[in-house]
Amino acid sequence: MKGVVFVELLNMAESIAGEDAVDAILDECPLETNGAFTSVGNYPCSELMILVQAFSEKLNAPVSELQNKFGRWMFMRFAEGYPAFFVGKNDAFTMLESIENEVHVEVRKLYPEVELPTFATERIDEKTLRMVYCSERPLIDFCQGMIEACVEHFKEPADIDKIDHSSSGEFKADFKISMAA
Amino acid sequence: MLQTSTEENPYVSRRRYNRERLAREEAEQLLDGKSRELWDVNQKLIQQADGLEKVVQERTADLEKAREIAEAASHAKSVFLASMSHEIRTPLNGVLGMAEALTDTQLSDEQTSMAATIVDSGQLLLAVLNDILDLSKIEAGQLEIETVPFDLNALFVATQQLYSFKAIEKDIAFHVNVNDTAKCWIKSDPVRLRQVVGNLISNAIKFTSKGSVTVDVRLHTKNGQDADIIVEVRDTGLGIPANKISALCQPFVQVDASIARKHGGTGLGLSISKQICALMDGDIHIESTEGVGSCFTATMKVTVEDEAQNEVKIDIGDAIAIISKKKWRVLLAEDNRTNQLVFKKFLKQFDLDITVAANGQEAIDATQDIEFDVIFMDINMPIVDGVTATENIRKRDHAMGRKSIPILALTANTMVHQVAGYIEAGMDNHLAKPVKKNMLFQVMADALTSGN
Repeated sequence: MKGVVFVELLNMAESIAGEDAVDAILDECPLETNGAFTSVGNYPCSELMILVQAFSEKLNAPVSELQNKFGRWMFMRFAEGYPAFFVGKNDAFTMLESIENEVHVEVRKLYPEVELPTFATERIDEKTLRMVYCSERPLIDFCQGMIEACVEHFKEPADIDKIDHSSSGEFKADFKISMAA
Repeated sequence: MLQTSTEENPYVSRRRYNRERLAREEAEQLLDGKSRELWDVNQKLIQQADGLEKVVQERTADLEKAREIAEAASHAKSVFLASMSHEIRTPLNGVLGMAEALTDTQLSDEQTSMAATIVDSGQLLLAVLNDILDLSKIEAGQLEIETVPFDLNALFVATQQLYSFKAIEKDIAFHVNVNDTAKCWIKSDPVRLRQVVGNLISNAIKFTSKGSVTVDVRLHTKNGQDADIIVEVRDTGLGIPANKISALCQPFVQVDASIARKHGGTGLGLSISKQICALMDGDIHIESTEGVGSCFTATMKVTVEDEAQNEVKIDIGDAIAIISKKKWRVLLAEDNRTNQLVFKKFLKQFDLDITVAANGQEAIDATQDIEFDVIFMDINMPIVDGVTATENIRKRDHAMGRKSIPILALTANTMVHQVAGYIEAGMDNHLAKPVKKNMLFQVMADALTSGN
C-alpha cells in the first residue's frame, strides 16, 4: 500500500489527538518500519489495519467511523494537493467517474507496481450514480468517506446507499448516490 | 578555534523538526516529479521504437518485393535461355547429323574438308549451347548430380587420350599422373567430373604456348568411404594477374576483353565448373604467377567403391556386327522430319526394316500388328507423347501375353529425374539428343541382345 496513505493517516491522527498521543501509539504498535513512513514508499496493508485499530481504541471511536473520517480527510488532501484533477469538473458525478480513468491512470504512471481498487460507475439516471468499489483490502468505509467528501466538496447534497457484497478475500460494495431533488 | 561538542543533545528543536519534515516532503515531491518525467521519456522511447519498428518493416517489405521482382526477372531470363538453347539445339541437331551423314558419302577432298568444318563448327556451337544450358540449370537450382560407380583411373586415361592431340598440335608436353590412391572405383558423377577436368585442361592448353600442362590426381580418404578427389592442373602459360583471380569464376568474366578475341570461349566454363564442384561439396582454387603459370585445383566429395564393377559396354565393332546380323524391324517414333532423316542416314549402312511413326498414337497403332525388335521413342510428340505411348504399349503387350519389346527414349531432356521417369514408364534405356552415331549403335546393339 502506498506510503501516502500512512503519512496522511498519521497527519490526521496528529490533528485530532496530538503528536504525543500518536508517538505513544507508534511506539506501542509492532511495526516493521518503527512508524517511519514516506509518501513515496510502499508498506504492507496489514500495518495500516494495525494503526487504524490502535487509533480506534485510543480515540474510543469504532473502526468504521475512523475509516470514514480518514476517507474524508484523504479527499480533502487530494483536492488541496492535486487541483489539476478538478479542472473542468463541475459536479461530484463527473469527479467520481474520473477516478478510474484519469486519477488511477496518472497514479500508475508514477507507480507501475501499485495495486489499486476498481471503481466501476454507471449513471442510473440524471440524478443517480451507481459506483461499485472492489478491492483486496477491507476499506469500504474509507471509500464511503471519500464519496461523501466529494459530494460535499461540490456542495451537492445527496443520499448515499451502500450494499456490501464482500466475500472471502474480496471486498466489494455497491454505492448508490442519489442527488437531492 | 572552533570547539566541537563532545556530548550530543538528545532533543531536537521544533524548528529543526519542521525543517526536516519540509525537506522530506520536498524530496518526496521531487521524486514524484522525476518519476513522472521518467514515465514521459519512456513513453517517447516506446513510440520511437514503434516508429522504427514500422520503418524497418516497411523497408523489409520493400526489399522483399524488390528481391522477388529481381528473382522473377532472373528466373524468366534463365527459362528464356534454356528454351532458346533448346530451340537452337533441335535445328543444330539436324545440321550436325546431316553433315556427319554427308562425310559418309562419296566426296571430293575439298567437299570432305567443307563437311568437316561444318561438323567442327556445329560441335563448337553445341558446346557453347550446353554451357548456357548448364548455367541456366545451375541458376535455376536444377542441375542434378548423379552418383554412379565408375573407374576413376579409366576416366583419366580417356581424358589424357582426348586432350593429348590438342597438346601435340600446340607442341607442349601433357602429362596426367594418377596417384595410386586414385586408382580405384568411386561413386560420383562421371559426366560432371569429366566436364570440370576437361574445362581446366582445355583452358590450360589454350593459354599455354610453350612448356607443359600437368594433371595430378589423388584421392584423400577421410573415414571409411568418404573421400575428397583432388585434381591439380598446372600449366606454364600466361598466368593471371593477382587482381583478376577472384573475378575469374564469375559467369561471363575473362581476364580481359582481348582474351575473348584472341582465344575465344564464352567465359562460362570456369564459372560452371566451380559451381559443379560446389554442388559436390568442393571448390576450385586458383594460384597463379603472371608470366610463370597457373595451378587450378578442383576438389569434390566422392564415395570410394569397395569392389570394381564390371561395366557392360558393347564395343563399337561388336555393335556393328550385331546390327548387321539380320534385317531387324525398327520403329522410330519421332515427329520432327529432320530428326527422322538424320536417324535413317545414320542407319543407312545396315539393311534394316525401319518404320516411322509421326506421333505416339501412330506408334501404338504400328505396334498393334507388327512385333518390332526395337522401338526408338521421342518424348515430346503431338497427340500422344512418348511416355504415354510407352505405357500403353507395355499395358497392351502384357495383356496380350506378348514379349516386351526394348523401347529406347530419344530426348534432349536428360536430367536424372527425367530419365528415372522414362525408365519407370517402361522404357529400357535412353539416348541423349543430339544423337551420336556410335552411341546409337552401341545402345541399339545392347537393346537387341538384351532379350536373349
